[in-house]
Amino acid sequence: MAEEKYPINIWVNEERYEKLKEAGLAHMCEEMLAGMKVIRVYANAAQRDKILKVFPTAKFDSATTKSIELLPRQVKDKIFDIVVERKSVDVLDEFLSAY
Amino acid sequence: MAEIGHGGKEIVERILDPKEAPAKVRGLKQVPVRSQIANEVIGIAYGFFCPLTGFMGKEDLDAVVKKMRLKDGTIWSIPILFDLSDQELSDYGIKEGDTICLTYHDNPMAIFEIREIYSYDKEAMCQSIFGTAESKHPGCARTYAYKDKFLGGDITLVTPPKINPPFDPYFIPPLEMRKRFREKGWQRIVAHQTRNVPHTGHEWLMKGAWFQTYAELPIEKPLVGVLVNAIIGEKRKGDYIDEAIILTQDELRKSGYFGDHNHMTSLTFWDMRYAGPKEAIFHAALRTNLGLTHHMYGRDHAGVGTYYGPYDAHHLLATVQDELNITPVYSMNWLYCPHCGEITSEGLCNHKSEWQKFSGTLIRSIVEDGVKPPRLIFRPEVFDLVMECAEKYGFGSPFVTDEYLAKRTPVFTIPPLAG
Repeated sequence: MAEEKYPINIWVNEERYEKLKEAGLAHMCEEMLAGMKVIRVYANAAQRDKILKVFPTAKFDSATTKSIELLPRQVKDKIFDIVVERKSVDVLDEFLSAY
Repeated sequence: MAEIGHGGKEIVERILDPKEAPAKVRGLKQVPVRSQIANEVIGIAYGFFCPLTGFMGKEDLDAVVKKMRLKDGTIWSIPILFDLSDQELSDYGIKEGDTICLTYHDNPMAIFEIREIYSYDKEAMCQSIFGTAESKHPGCARTYAYKDKFLGGDITLVTPPKINPPFDPYFIPPLEMRKRFREKGWQRIVAHQTRNVPHTGHEWLMKGAWFQTYAELPIEKPLVGVLVNAIIGEKRKGDYIDEAIILTQDELRKSGYFGDHNHMTSLTFWDMRYAGPKEAIFHAALRTNLGLTHHMYGRDHAGVGTYYGPYDAHHLLATVQDELNITPVYSMNWLYCPHCGEITSEGLCNHKSEWQKFSGTLIRSIVEDGVKPPRLIFRPEVFDLVMECAEKYGFGSPFVTDEYLAKRTPVFTIPPLAG
């Protein structure tokens, strides 16, 4: 059975979209809700649990979206910067190594 | 005309005449209370908690725990308790039969006639009310934090609270609320319980419930209203700030998504217990007292984590429906369907593979990321007001922060006793 994955939705505002375009990564955006763009970074169960422990305001929306939500803006900015730098959404190991 | 509340009992405000108050409290021992108790004193004194006239004694508590009833048989699901430690009882010299003065913000708030002092098994209470005794359940944590002795007896308010702006227009106690419903000519009113800033999923929950409640009534003139009854109590970091919640709920009316003819916003002071089904029953009693005829119940009403099944509250309500004077209106989830290009109900739309579900949590994440959602998801007037509240009340954030908790203006204060 495939390992279950839990997305972190990084919503793409104009500032983030510009950065993605500059890096040639605009294609990484998905349309998720009524045309809103998002970059989804996926966590496995262990990473999800670590994120919820390290960032107490974060919440796993188990009822509706099955995603990790309410990470502070600066945390998402940091993940987003790594995504742009590595040109990949598979960045959580690197991000979490600092915690 | 007597106003009849939950359990068929008359709603009577327990508030002293201001002229009598100074003499009544003179010489009484003064005991300061925390915000939860102050909220519940208001709930009791204004009749939000009718038929309770005070904090519960042991027989009532035992009946609530074992039978979900008061000792007289009235359905009641959540203990309303006043606690003190043995040390405090000794320091204040309090004993059964005493009358004391409860103070809040250093001013006299209420007279408490102590009928009995007792202890109770907190674990058994948790297991019955919350369906678990785990201390990580927030309701259990609150229960375990009670001190070891409970004091039962009647409460009478001596100083009405001063509700601070911007909350003041929204504090509408049961007797006043019923008067306003009559003035509006509403024959049926459906309650929307909330602790959230509304997105369009919430808006459609209300609109759907309004249709359900209207049912067979004639449509020539407005006969049905939605009452948003926001729960204002203890805040947790990351919640929306209270000011944003209450003002944005009312903004739906002001901006025309509803109107004066079918929508009102109000608040109730209450610290959520997250008791799921049992809290749903409590909400039925509370809203009956406010004069409502119908109550919306969605998925996992007042639940937390994975403690309750999504429809446990509906099932428990069904077991006591004959004894409640309020009709439950069950709501399905609303979602965005890109195929339909609209917000729709999961019970209606069949483009299941295209559904885009969203929740309050998801919308909070979007706002936190600095993205303005489209009007189909979040009304622009609501978004702009959230941002205005962040600047005006939230120290730059629409969400509760340490700074907000430390510096916010309290929702209500107790002014000094006149005279």
